[in-house]
Amino acid sequence: MAASLFRPLLRGGPRFDDAAARRPILTFEAVYKAYRADQPVLRGMSLVVERGEFVFVTGPSGAGKSTLLRLLYRAEQVDDGRILFLGRDIARLTDGSIPFLRRNMGIVFQDFKLVAGWTVYENVAVSLEVLGLPSRLVRTRVGEALERVGLAGRGPDRAEVLSGGEQQRVAIARAIVGEPAILLADEPTGNLDPQLAIDILGLFEEIHEAGTTVLFSTHDRTLLEVRPRRVVVLDEGKAIDVPQGLAVPGIRMAS
Amino acid sequence: MTTAARALRGGRSDWRLHALSVFSLAVAFVCLASALLVVVNLQAVEARWARAGRASIYLKDGVADDDVAALRRALAQTPGVSGTRYLSQADARKDVLGDGVAGALAALPPEAFPASVELDFTPELGDESIATLVAKLRSVPSVESVETYQRWTERLAALLRGGVAASAVLAIVVFAAVVSVVASTMRLALQRRRREIEVLKLVGATDAYVRGPFVLEGAMEGVLGAIAALLLLGLLFSIVRGRFDADLAMLIGMAPVFLPWPFALGLTALGAMLGAIAALAGVRRFAAV
Repeated sequence: MAASLFRPLLRGGPRFDDAAARRPILTFEAVYKAYRADQPVLRGMSLVVERGEFVFVTGPSGAGKSTLLRLLYRAEQVDDGRILFLGRDIARLTDGSIPFLRRNMGIVFQDFKLVAGWTVYENVAVSLEVLGLPSRLVRTRVGEALERVGLAGRGPDRAEVLSGGEQQRVAIARAIVGEPAILLADEPTGNLDPQLAIDILGLFEEIHEAGTTVLFSTHDRTLLEVRPRRVVVLDEGKAIDVPQGLAVPGIRMAS
Repeated sequence: MTTAARALRGGRSDWRLHALSVFSLAVAFVCLASALLVVVNLQAVEARWARAGRASIYLKDGVADDDVAALRRALAQTPGVSGTRYLSQADARKDVLGDGVAGALAALPPEAFPASVELDFTPELGDESIATLVAKLRSVPSVESVETYQRWTERLAALLRGGVAASAVLAIVVFAAVVSVVASTMRLALQRRRREIEVLKLVGATDAYVRGPFVLEGAMEGVLGAIAALLLLGLLFSIVRGRFDADLAMLIGMAPVFLPWPFALGLTALGAMLGAIAALAGVRRFAAV
C-alpha cells in the first residue's frame, strides 16, 4: 500500500527527483471526460503547464473549467487520456493515494468552503494538522499565512462573522499554508464584488510571485484584462492556448 | 490537533444530539445491568444454600423429651454431624413470628410450628452420605419429615439458568439497541458536519483521520451510557435495599449485593467497544469516507 502512495518528486529529501524538476508540473494528454455519453465535457484536451506559471482557465458556463480542476484533485476520474502531475499519472493513483496527492495542492472555491463554526485559525490550521505537524509549528505557519492574506490577528474570530472577501482570504490562507506545489482556484471571485475580486486576484499574484504555480479558473473577462497572463480558453471540450492573454488585440472570447 | 481534541470539538458542537443518544444508551444498559444484578444475586443465594451444610428434622407432635434426647445423642455420634440443636414448638413459633405476636400469623395453631432438631454437617460430608443419613432418619418413628434444602438449591439453580438465558437474550437486544442508536447518531452527526468532512478530504486527510473522531465519539457515548446506567441502577438499588434490606435478608438468607467491580467495568468496556464499532459501521456505510 505504502509503495503506491503519491509522493511529491519536486521536494527535497531522499526521494528528490532532479529529472522531475525539469519536467512540466502539469500535463494533460488527450483527456476525455463525459458525465453523459452523448455530451462529453472534455474531448481530447491537451495542455502543458510549466512550473511557476500563472494560468487563467476560462470559457463559457459548462465549458469544463470546474471539471478540469476536479480531475486534477481527483474528485473526478478521467474517461481516457492522462494527467501527469509532478511526474505521476493522476488517473492511475489508488484511492489511498488521493489524500497524498491533495497535500501537494491548495484549492480555493467560489463558495469558500469554510467550516462556519470554526475559528479562522482552525480553518487554516486544518491543512497542517492532517499532516501531523507539531502544534507549535502549526501556530507559527498559520500566523504567517494569515499575515500574507492580510488577516493577521484575526485567528480567534469565528469564520461565520467574516465578510465574503475576508472568508475568501481565509480560504486562500488555508490553501497556501501547506506550501503546495500548485494552487487551484475555481471561480474564487465569483461571489465577490468587482473591486474585491481584483484585490483577491492581486493576492493570488503575490502568492505566484513567491514561486507557486497558479491555475485560476474564471469566466470574469475583466479579471483577464487586468494583466497580460497566459489564458487557456476551454471551448467545445478542447483547450485553446492564448500565451499573451486576452488583452492582446484581435483575441475575443465567446461569451 | 489530536483525535481526542477533534472528537471533543465535534461532541461540543452536537452536544444535544449526543446527550439524547447517551440517554437512550443508558436506558438500554439499565435493562442489561438489571438482569445481571438479578443473576449475580441468584448466584450468591444458590452458592449460599448449596453450602448450607445443614438439615432440619421435623418431629411428630407429642414426642417425648427422652426420645428427642436419644435421637440427639445418636446424631451426635454419627460421622459428619458437627452439631445438633433442638427447637421446641414455642421456639419455632418465636423464630417465625418474633416477640411481637400479632396479625394473621399469630392466629395459626401450634401444629403449624413443629418442633425440630437442626443438624449441622461437616463440610467433608458428601451428598451421598447425607442422602443415606436422611433415609435412615425418615425411618425413625418420632420423625415426621427431614428437610435438606436440596430442592431449594435445585430450584434456585433452575431459576439461575433461566436468569442467565434471559440476560443473554437481553444482551442481544441491548447490543442491537446500542449499535442502532450510535450508528443513527453518527449518521446525523455526519450530516451536520458534512462541510467539515468535505474540507478535511480536500486538504488531504486520510479516511482514518476523518473517521477517528467519530469512532471516539461513539466509544465515549457507549462509556457514558453504561456509566449512567450503573449510576441509575446503583441509586435504585440503594433505595430498595434501604427499605427492604431486612425483609430480603430474611427471605433469601443473605443481604442482596450490587454488581461487583469486574461486572461494572466489563459493562463499561462493552459500551466503549460497541459504541466504537457501531460508529465505525455508521461512518463507513453512510458517509463512504
